Amino acid sequence: MTTWLSVVVNGLFMGSFYGLVALGLGLIFGVMDIVNFAHGALLTVSMYVVYNLITLTGMDPYLAIIPTALVMYLVGTQLQRWLISPVLRREKDTAHLTIILLTSGLWWALQNGILFLFSANYYTADTPYSGEVFFIGEIPISVPRLIGFIGAIVIVAGLQWFLTYTDLGRALRATSQDREATRLMGIDDFKVYEFSFGLGTALVGVAACLLIPFYFVHPTVGDVFGVLAFIIVVLGGLGSTLGTFLGGLLIGLVEAIGSHIFSPYIARMLIFAIFIAVLMWRPSGLLGRRL
Amino acid sequence: MTNSISRQQDSGRSFGSWQRWVIVAIGVSVVLALPLIIKNTYYVQAVTLGLLFAYLALAWNIVGGMAGQLSFGHAIFFGIGAYTSTILFRDLELTPWIGMLVGGVLSGLIAMVLGYPTFRLRGAYFALATLAFGEIARAFVNNTNFLFGIEIRGSRGILVPLRGQAPLVYQFEDKRYFYYIILLLLVILIYSVYHLKRSKLGLYLSAIGDNEDAAVSLGVNASASKLKAFLISAFFTAVGGTFYAQLLHFVDAPSVFGGSVSLIVVLFATTGGPAYLLGPVVGTLLLMPIAEITRILLAGRFTGVHMVIYGLILVLVMRFMPRGVMFEAERLIEHWKRHSSSQVEPEQTLTSESQGVKHGTS
Repeated sequence: MTTWLSVVVNGLFMGSFYGLVALGLGLIFGVMDIVNFAHGALLTVSMYVVYNLITLTGMDPYLAIIPTALVMYLVGTQLQRWLISPVLRREKDTAHLTIILLTSGLWWALQNGILFLFSANYYTADTPYSGEVFFIGEIPISVPRLIGFIGAIVIVAGLQWFLTYTDLGRALRATSQDREATRLMGIDDFKVYEFSFGLGTALVGVAACLLIPFYFVHPTVGDVFGVLAFIIVVLGGLGSTLGTFLGGLLIGLVEAIGSHIFSPYIARMLIFAIFIAVLMWRPSGLLGRRL
Repeated sequence: MTNSISRQQDSGRSFGSWQRWVIVAIGVSVVLALPLIIKNTYYVQAVTLGLLFAYLALAWNIVGGMAGQLSFGHAIFFGIGAYTSTILFRDLELTPWIGMLVGGVLSGLIAMVLGYPTFRLRGAYFALATLAFGEIARAFVNNTNFLFGIEIRGSRGILVPLRGQAPLVYQFEDKRYFYYIILLLLVILIYSVYHLKRSKLGLYLSAIGDNEDAAVSLGVNASASKLKAFLISAFFTAVGGTFYAQLLHFVDAPSVFGGSVSLIVVLFATTGGPAYLLGPVVGTLLLMPIAEITRILLAGRFTGVHMVIYGLILVLVMRFMPRGVMFEAERLIEHWKRHSSSQVEPEQTLTSESQGVKHGTS
């Protein structure tokens, strides 16, 4: 029983990170109707940014959230301004295909660029929180994972509040619903796009800071999260913050329970099977409103 | 990717026809004599692999370029082709010349099974689904030792049993034979795509690639057309997989089912110009040498470098010339022609236009 409980707890904890990473992808997907294939690679970049910040300055990983999120926000807005917006301005029907290809090029360039700069060695950041554990009953709870879990929930709630109650959040939702009409209302849609992409990558930066106390750093670290993020966004449905986060938790649970009963490989196959099943029967997602 | 219909047929129409034939003849003889000129086996193999990728990019382009459906999972078909012929040869002594066709048909069937549910999805969803399928296939083959009682040896890979010089079982001591085989396969594929483009299906596909909703509203059965394109593309890709297995005598999941095969094929085809018959071939000929050159210059020290360059090229191509190198080249040539013959231009245009009308009405 206790093993089962700890499996479930671990699944939920890991799932909250999957959800957090997927949140940024879903935001960009929802607002601009484009898929950012470089999303996972941007997580890798963030991980290396945090890792170097921590090891060079001795900064607390959770304090590093502020500079990392800022850096990644800037990276995101500039990518949008110089690479993605021009394509969206130029093309209408084919833009999504061009963006997929453009961002997959970015993905290889970033991933292999990091491989080139930092080699394929595995790094782990030594933080004050790494390896800290306490017990509830007989269930071991990892402190950094718990902090990450709580952090993810706070961010989801904050994002939901931001999208619902602030002017900028309303502008964002309006743009995702009808770009032309929003522009007629005097909102600069491309400003909103830049902000959305920046916010999406900033969320990845935050996720990297929450991950680093207990996760390894490697050029391919983003691939796992990136591929799962696609699955989660489709699973959770477009334009649904809560749906995306719940999708992340579900994937985390499937992974943990599947690995416990069978093997990590079978768990991976199960996740893909769920993804294909959702694509086939409910492409609008489990909680989605529209395709 | 777009406007494959509205594109002009041929840029060399105003050329003297004998001049064209001379150029073609020189080109053909250079291509035919190439392995006799370069003696170094390594370079012959590099050129052979280059032609294989040109072939694969062209096969991908049937579904990726002509129909505008970005498949990120073509390594599945490449892998099926490589494994099927190799297993049939190992277990049943069936010559890979026939195994090649079995693998092609099997790939076509798998393409139908994968395509049926996924072609209802548009754009990004199809790309994501094929990416996921590709990942599943790679992980599955890498983790499975026996499939229906057939030994596929998981991550250890399979060696093709060696027979020395044995043309009947697709084995040659001299690697130059493989150069001519892939050249022949490439010519067959170019010929097939040439006819496909002019067929009803080809026109349907380019209509779907331009605007699927419009095509459907005009009575095009989009799902059926896309399925056929996927099937044809998968068949040819699998034949390429068999060729690869015979060339290297070894197949394993990372090399034939790996994501890099899927991605590089996409890169080559889209960079060259997906709307053009020879676009994927041109793209491969332009980009393939980059990997070789960096490998030689850096002496294998930095493994990822050519992928960084490939990635940046794809970013820049999509940002500045999304229709590919061929489109830009054609535009440059036309621009240059207009400038060089700007004085006689109006009359010529007039006559050619009136001729066009006459042809059209008669």
